[in-house]
Amino acid sequence: MDKIRVEHLSKAFDKAGVLKDVSFTVTDGEFLSILGPSGCGKTTILRILIGLETADSGTILKDGVDITDKPSAMRKMGIVFQNYALFENMSVLKNVTYALRNSATTKKEYDRASAEAKAKEMLEIVGLSEHMNKKPRELSGGQQQRVAIARTLALNPDVILFDEPMSALDVDTRLSLRAQLKDLQKQFGTTMIYITHDQEEAFAMSDRIMVMDAGVIHQLDTPQNIIDAPADDYVKRFVIKNINTKIKSLIQFARITDTGDSSEVGE
Amino acid sequence: MKQKFDIRKWKPSLALQVFLCVFLIVAVVLPLIRMISTMTAADVTSMMKSKRFPKALRQTLYVGAVATAISVSLAGALAWAVARTTIRHKTVLNTLLSVPMLIPSISHGMGMIIILGKNGWLSRFLGLEAGVYGFWGIVIGSVMYSFPVAYLMLYDVIRYEDGTPYEAAEVMGLTAKDKFFAITLPYLRKPLISVIFATFTMIITDYGVPLMVGGKYLTLPVMMYQDVIGMLDFGKGAVIGVILLVPVFITCILDMTNRDKGNAAFVGKPYRIRDGKVRKIVAWILCGLVIVAVFLPIGSFAVLGFVKKYPIDMSFSLKNIRQAVNMKALDYLKNSLLIAFVVSTVGTVFAALNAYMTARNKTKLSYVLHLMSITSLAIPGLVLGLSYVMFFKSSPIYGTFAILFLVNMMHFFSSPYLMAYNTFGKINENLEDVGSTMGIGKFKIIKDVILPLSFGTMAEMFSYFFVNCMMTISAVSFLANVTTKPVALMITTFEGQMQLECAAFVSVLILGVNVLMKCAVYIFKRVMNKKETA
Repeated sequence: MDKIRVEHLSKAFDKAGVLKDVSFTVTDGEFLSILGPSGCGKTTILRILIGLETADSGTILKDGVDITDKPSAMRKMGIVFQNYALFENMSVLKNVTYALRNSATTKKEYDRASAEAKAKEMLEIVGLSEHMNKKPRELSGGQQQRVAIARTLALNPDVILFDEPMSALDVDTRLSLRAQLKDLQKQFGTTMIYITHDQEEAFAMSDRIMVMDAGVIHQLDTPQNIIDAPADDYVKRFVIKNINTKIKSLIQFARITDTGDSSEVGE
Repeated sequence: MKQKFDIRKWKPSLALQVFLCVFLIVAVVLPLIRMISTMTAADVTSMMKSKRFPKALRQTLYVGAVATAISVSLAGALAWAVARTTIRHKTVLNTLLSVPMLIPSISHGMGMIIILGKNGWLSRFLGLEAGVYGFWGIVIGSVMYSFPVAYLMLYDVIRYEDGTPYEAAEVMGLTAKDKFFAITLPYLRKPLISVIFATFTMIITDYGVPLMVGGKYLTLPVMMYQDVIGMLDFGKGAVIGVILLVPVFITCILDMTNRDKGNAAFVGKPYRIRDGKVRKIVAWILCGLVIVAVFLPIGSFAVLGFVKKYPIDMSFSLKNIRQAVNMKALDYLKNSLLIAFVVSTVGTVFAALNAYMTARNKTKLSYVLHLMSITSLAIPGLVLGLSYVMFFKSSPIYGTFAILFLVNMMHFFSSPYLMAYNTFGKINENLEDVGSTMGIGKFKIIKDVILPLSFGTMAEMFSYFFVNCMMTISAVSFLANVTTKPVALMITTFEGQMQLECAAFVSVLILGVNVLMKCAVYIFKRVMNKKETA
């Protein structure tokens, strides 16, 4: 069943078209990645989906209901930003309880005690029980991102949108957070839309990938199909070439480490 | 593609931006236009043909250039001494070096008279019978008054310099001279230009120091003050006002185009300060000498306020206090406190609101609002005061406290606005978006997150408005009357009556109030920091 259906979405900033008649669907419980270079319109799609930006034309349906003009908070969607967007003056625990006690969808449900219990549960799930009383600035980037994820999950959204959540993190943290995100998706069954310009990340995590450029969708398919049957030259160039380069560099890396010459290691 | 008109975008942020723009137009732009339009061709011609004007213009620029060169060099040397050596008690040194910022410029001029005037104790000690008046009097007084501002700006720049290039230079074996020319100078170039412009503007638009010690050495602000206050010649005053705006606007535009786009803010690694006995000794000597020089005039007028008749009878007396009180010093102090509290409170809220709308609600209009908000930085107080006289003369607020609140708020608006703008700009840009997706309104996010993160800045903004309102004598000099007169204007009155002792007492009074305010802000910030880290 379609969780999200986007039809003929268009958006222009200062007369420059950022999205050009974009249509796609996301199925319930799916992990969809939107992949493309900077400025291709992927963040704009995300902001329109959650209601932070309005489209010039087009409709958005969620569970078959038109939500195009619904206020952001009424869409039952959550968002995780690249820069975490945590409340720096509050402790990790308070970041989650504050959201629960003030969010339009949950504030009637939770009193102080139940909000705290729920927040602790969510922080335990993301592995931050020991850091609940710390301020966000005392945590690493990966830990801060997990607080943002816990805060979003606590509000029990139907769909979570991720705006390049790992681009500021180091490789090790990215790898562990990737695995954790997939586990969370399985555990909660939440539909996730994930924006990235990192092909490797998209291919490793997604059920389907939407390849975009200049406001247009070039291909929306499973990772395997994109590799096996790229829809056009752009997909071939942008995706396949990068994957080949990555494989080549991995092979080169393996050769170098075999011979013990580390000075030649590239990116 | 044609964009759809979206009514939701119209409320409430855009409406507020429109309101703020209109307010700034009425409070800054229209008065200036009124002043400019008041000038007649006859005023301009007579001014240009007069002998006084070209001389005053030349002298203003000359004295400004020399005083700026000395002030910025001294500030640079001090900033190096404090930021680049391992001397201790840096906070204390910074506080002591900023004390001159707490008294009116005219008090610096008065300090000069007490120390280096005809009967100054240092002139007599050094045998300088004529005293230091005229060009060098203005230069020394202006340096005293302007160097703390230049120092604080340069100290911040030097303190936050990235240490990585120096480490690379160390590895490459560059000499100290090479490092200075290859790393330090290019890094300092842009901020240094900003500091030079700010100092130059401050000096050439001040009338306090030249009025006190200028003697026959006439500068444009003094000429404007004399034409307007002495001869009620508003037309000529307006011509000088416009001319004063020209160099100030040029420096302001140059400064804005020269300003770093923020790349310099990136610090890979803090600069590693080298330890060394000689460096520390040099730094202590320099700081010590400057602090003594700073406190000589302050100490002198603190003493002067309590002597019978300087320099004839130096016995202790409360006569000056009695005389100042008889001349309503306490009433005028109340006026100043009222003005300072109202302007600080309303000004801080207004500047913060403006900054929020420009730093966190980026639209085309917010850019216009930002430009208007920083405009008042380029308008000398005297010019703003005169333009207010001309624009508000027939309005009900003329002659009331309301016009003094407004003129002071606009005169000192830009710096606190920029403080808030920088702070709000550094706070995570997605907070309101996250709130919006959760159904938490902007106002609640501001109240619960953004304001608590900006308490320190708010306190500094409040204190900036307060301190400046307490000591300003520029814009208010054209607008205050016997009922609304602020206490700082008593200094010019006493100076006119040759009652230096009473003027000294008023300066001490202003300094005392400002020191108390600075202490209150310091304590408030400490308490908030403790709460924050608890």
